[in-house]
Amino acid sequence: MHSSLTLTEILIDGISRGAVYALVALGYTMVYGVLGMINFAHGEVFMIGMFACVYAIGAFSAAWGDHVLLNLGLGIIVAMIFSAAYGYANERIAYRRLRKAHVLAPLTSAIGISTFLQYFIFLNVSKEKVPFPRYYSDLLTTHHLQIGPIDISYLRLAIFGLTLLIMIGLFYLINFTRLGIALRATAQDQLMASLVGIPVDKIIAFTFILGSGLAAIAGVMVSMYTNVLVFDAGYRVGLKAFTAAILGGIGNVPGAVLGAMILGLTEALTTLQFGSEWSDVTTFAMLMLVLLLRPRGLLGERVADKV
Amino acid sequence: MVDPVGARAIDRSVSKLHFYLSLAVVLILGAALVGCKKTQNTIKIGLAAVQSGSDAQIGLTMLQGSQIAVDEWNAKGGVLGKQIETISLDDEGKPDKAVNVAQSLVDDGAIAVLGHLNSGCTIPASRVYNNGKIIQITPGSTNPQFTEQGYPYAFRICGRDDQQGAIAGAYLHDVLKLNKIAILHNKTAYGEGLATEVKKTFESKGGTVTMFQGIGQDENDFSANVSVIKGSGAEGFFWGGMYGQGGPLCVKMRQQGINIPFVSGDGCFDQTFIDTVGGTAANVFLSFGRDYHSLPAAQPFLEKYKAKYQHDEGAYSVYGYDAANALLTAIDQAQTTDPDKVAAVLKSRSFDTILGKIEFDSKGDLKQSGYVIWTIKDGKLQALPDNP
Repeated sequence: MHSSLTLTEILIDGISRGAVYALVALGYTMVYGVLGMINFAHGEVFMIGMFACVYAIGAFSAAWGDHVLLNLGLGIIVAMIFSAAYGYANERIAYRRLRKAHVLAPLTSAIGISTFLQYFIFLNVSKEKVPFPRYYSDLLTTHHLQIGPIDISYLRLAIFGLTLLIMIGLFYLINFTRLGIALRATAQDQLMASLVGIPVDKIIAFTFILGSGLAAIAGVMVSMYTNVLVFDAGYRVGLKAFTAAILGGIGNVPGAVLGAMILGLTEALTTLQFGSEWSDVTTFAMLMLVLLLRPRGLLGERVADKV
Repeated sequence: MVDPVGARAIDRSVSKLHFYLSLAVVLILGAALVGCKKTQNTIKIGLAAVQSGSDAQIGLTMLQGSQIAVDEWNAKGGVLGKQIETISLDDEGKPDKAVNVAQSLVDDGAIAVLGHLNSGCTIPASRVYNNGKIIQITPGSTNPQFTEQGYPYAFRICGRDDQQGAIAGAYLHDVLKLNKIAILHNKTAYGEGLATEVKKTFESKGGTVTMFQGIGQDENDFSANVSVIKGSGAEGFFWGGMYGQGGPLCVKMRQQGINIPFVSGDGCFDQTFIDTVGGTAANVFLSFGRDYHSLPAAQPFLEKYKAKYQHDEGAYSVYGYDAANALLTAIDQAQTTDPDKVAAVLKSRSFDTILGKIEFDSKGDLKQSGYVIWTIKDGKLQALPDNP
């Protein structure tokens, strides 16, 4: 029916798409793992990372010329600082006071922050789609790894590699470090954790800062990959990443990556088989099916009692 | 325990609140009445199009074109001895929002509307305008359905997608000599409508459409679609949609090594599209109206536009300008704002516009549409001489 070449290409597309979702899904799942709340503003922090990077690159190239690697590297750092600052501010302003409130309160607050940030960027930064400066992405997009008849761009390899690296890093951090013990203790019981001397507020703030910094890297990679920055980019990718996190078992780090890969592959294969107009249908049908059979997601262990 | 003193204080503040609320209501109603009285000395015209989101630029420039024409008329003393007031509203490119915008223009007493841009907005809004007996001239919606509904007050000052699709389909088959094409559209009235017309034309000429798919308007990752296009063996590609997605899609195709002709319609005819794909992009073809940049009639408008708005005039500002002029000329000749009489004038005579002499047929469409194929050359769009 379809040639094996096309099928292979579609599988690579699906994995790349899954890796993009995974980068964002990790942020969702990490905050959920610690706080038991869905940080709906995570997608917007990701989008702010995109804009911060591109505007920083613009400023740097105006200041000292077009040095691709230097400007891009500094741009990513600026994006991480910006996103981390927004992530921290979100936690400090919108969530910390609501930590002991009913679970719907921080959730609503998160949706509010998400809308606020989206339209803040829309009104103040750009109402239009902004193209990612090709001069900077060409380095990664025009060079390919050739395996037989298949081309894989360096950017895709970078996205995929980064996803794995971050997943392993987070897994190690949570399970094998002193900080990870503090994180897990905070996740289990905040009061008890504070009684044994764990600075709960700092641990939670750290979770947001780390998650937001990672979202910024994801934002830069995705805007290079899609060639475009737009104020509602976080909404769509965020929704899919959230779905992926649920699919894999929210709160579970490898689960988020697994869920994202399944989602990406489902969408790509749907595009091949039925056409892209069906991709949302198959995606959410699959989510329903998985949740019917495994209500806690594929790798979910903890009872999803909140939200 | 409820503190009785506190409760009394709450009672007091509640009654105070009621007092201020009623005061506010009275003041607002009063202001509205005063407002009504004051505005009877002007003629209101609605300018409705997408002004935000990814199609913002093309919609905004269209309305700015209309605004220049209105300013010119106002400088000459207005129409029917009254100044013309424009009400500019943003439909965000969304059908539901467009209906709200239409209703609010009807409620505000607009006698005519120049808009909208997206066919998906123009068509649902047209029903509201028709019920409110308001003349509607769209400078940019090309879906045939708009004028096929039989509304007496609906006019279109650009071509239709069946004309545009025929040109694009013929160009792909006859000029580029292709036999197999892939088509992707954005699932809107405009995108899918145009894509279907291209498919019809291309197949009627004996060609094969190897892929015909839709994609959501908010999707930015086209890599899977590009792989499918590649696998389908298409020799050419048609995009039925707007420039916000068209640009990144074209870039993605080139990055994934597909250099087949990229053909699209007026929705990609914008500077942002060129900025995204790059000024040196090869094998890109767009269907659009004829080139007016070299016409002497266009020069005063282009100069005025640049002076007033300090940016490029966009694809549809000339059409916005022509639409406003045709409307005001018709009102001037009818010597009334009565929609039946104005519509009768619009359908009975020809109008001198920047794009030449135009006439409306009984449906409200132009009697002649002048679609030609354009390409990108040296960072600018240029009309091609070899049209089918």
